[in-house]
Amino acid sequence: MGRKRNPWPYLLVAPALLTVLTVVFIPVVNAVSMSFQSYDLRRPSRIGFIGLGNYAEVLSDPLFWQSVWKTVVWVGVGVGFQFLFGFILALLLNRRFFGRGIVRSISLIPWVTPGVLIGLMWRWIYDGSYGVLNDILLRLGIIRDYVPFLARGDTAFPAVILTIIWQGIPFFALMILAGLQGIPEELYDAADVDGANGVQKLFRITIPSLRNVIFVTTLLRIIWVSNSVDVIFNLTEGGPAYATQTLSVYVFNKGNSLNLGYAATMSILLALMLSSVAVVYLRRIFRNQEAAR
Amino acid sequence: MKKVFALAVVLSMIALAVAAAPKPVTITHWYWADNPKYSAVMKEMAADFNATNGKGITVVVQEYPWDGGGYSETLFRAAMGGGGPDTSSAKLTSTPLFVSNNLWENLDKYINRWKDKDQIDPALWKTMRDASRTKNVFLMPWTTQVLYVYYRPSMFKAAGISVPKNYAEFLDACAKLTKDTDGDGRTDVYGFGMRGFRGGHEPWGSFIQARGGTFADFTTAKAVAGMQDFIDLFKKGYVPPTAPMDGFNEIIANFKSGKTAMTVHHIGSSTGMIDTFGDDVDAFPFPGAEGKWTSMGDTENVMFRSSKNKDAAFEWLAYLAAGKGQITWCAATGNVPVSKAVQKLPQFQSSRFMKVSIEGAPFAGIYPVLDTTTEWISTIWPNTIAAALQGKISAAEAMKQLQTGLYK
Repeated sequence: MGRKRNPWPYLLVAPALLTVLTVVFIPVVNAVSMSFQSYDLRRPSRIGFIGLGNYAEVLSDPLFWQSVWKTVVWVGVGVGFQFLFGFILALLLNRRFFGRGIVRSISLIPWVTPGVLIGLMWRWIYDGSYGVLNDILLRLGIIRDYVPFLARGDTAFPAVILTIIWQGIPFFALMILAGLQGIPEELYDAADVDGANGVQKLFRITIPSLRNVIFVTTLLRIIWVSNSVDVIFNLTEGGPAYATQTLSVYVFNKGNSLNLGYAATMSILLALMLSSVAVVYLRRIFRNQEAAR
Repeated sequence: MKKVFALAVVLSMIALAVAAAPKPVTITHWYWADNPKYSAVMKEMAADFNATNGKGITVVVQEYPWDGGGYSETLFRAAMGGGGPDTSSAKLTSTPLFVSNNLWENLDKYINRWKDKDQIDPALWKTMRDASRTKNVFLMPWTTQVLYVYYRPSMFKAAGISVPKNYAEFLDACAKLTKDTDGDGRTDVYGFGMRGFRGGHEPWGSFIQARGGTFADFTTAKAVAGMQDFIDLFKKGYVPPTAPMDGFNEIIANFKSGKTAMTVHHIGSSTGMIDTFGDDVDAFPFPGAEGKWTSMGDTENVMFRSSKNKDAAFEWLAYLAAGKGQITWCAATGNVPVSKAVQKLPQFQSSRFMKVSIEGAPFAGIYPVLDTTTEWISTIWPNTIAAALQGKISAAEAMKQLQTGLYK
């Protein structure tokens, strides 16, 4: 006779499981299904299964490959500098100085500001006619005439990358700061006794101790920035001449124009690309959990 | 016995009165407003309709941003998701999308029994019918806006030029009005406020057609010549360098701040222009050469098939098209009324901007209403134009891309 099972754990998990199934699993299955269909709401009579038709079309679309490359640059440069400046900010905020609490709070502002607001705010900062950035650069004598930062192909993409860097620095700073506070002071005391200088302590104690924090934070940020639409869309909508169109913005634009099959196909491909990052992240997490047992 | 009979009669009459009294219904109406003033006017109109319709109809108006055309997408998503309003403001270009998805109500039977249907010009009814690519009318006309060129008479006087009578004079005026007013080597006033971002296809169309091009084929030599004129204005520095990303807000701000001497928009902006410049602002129809065309902006109202109170919904649409709502809205916004009786009212005959709108009406038109038009307007046109203005592609290449994008 089998042991009687206690239903309570299942009942307690059920609401969360149902929620996840409803808001994650079903939409994902739906997106996968759409990617195999001609699903353009502008042409409802043509909706139907087309096999790999969307995938073939997407993979032969030059704009798709351009968007993939833009995404690589957007993530590589954006997250790279977010990490670099976030790390420096965390080191500064870890020191004792007057007003540290206020500085820590202020430094969080970019992170807590909604992406839509950031987009609108920076759009005005970069404005080629009335923007404050142009005004400052002109007064400093760095430029001779106003630069339409968001209207030029060569400046628009660096401008949106600068914005995402500004937004993401506090996240890195916050996570690394938390990590810094977990490093035992004794390690630094011992290094002092051994005559280590600041650089040696940074590379021999601080960075190795923060390895897990840096790893997890960077991976998470890569995924978030890859999927980010709000900042770019509110700054440029992917223009001018698709100069700022990352893959997620392309998906958004196609979705907005109601070609949902095409948008779903690109989403699936983006998800596959990001899953390689997610797999590394999950393996690390599970390995850490195993080690902790 | 008599008392009982009298009581029975009275009770019967009360019962009949109660039965005959209109059942109160609520209609939800979506709209967009270009500024807070128009928003307030719409709320006043709804309040007026609610107080005067005498049929127990209450209209609840809900405002959504126009968002460079994003309104139509918001409305579509809401309706497809099973929500959305009973009635809504809409544009002709949205028609194929909503009609092919069976979202809008065919208004024919309501219009046929509408006493004011003859107040609307038959040509306008035809435009509504053509937009749906059926024999039915799905949109109730509301207002039209004919695009024209705003200009600053004082700047024209300073440049020693008069109002352009033809396309060549217009291009010449763009050059002559571009000035370095303080001699620091930088342009302070640009001749023309070019709209290179969303919505810019409307004034752009005037350049194409002025050269004799048409929207049926963007790749003809004439259409490409119009595109080249557009590019040249940018390359020669007669328009702000921000033009590839300048939308409605930017062209209006540049004109109002004196950064541009001319720009293209419709009468909807006239109130703000007069507030800013007083008498130092005027308008002229976009001039032509081999061809002549300007964009007819349109705003209609539609009824959704999902509405449970269609007769009440049509009462509201009728109020907007030919009733007091037509007068109030057009007077406040400066839009051109669609009702012939309202057009004849003195208040609409005296405005100088209305006069220019009426002058432009004979050659005003719309873009082909296709299922690709919305994406072409919002994504393909601005990005292709930006590439052409930046010199990444030639005028001919740009026109080829635009042709493929619209007629794919």
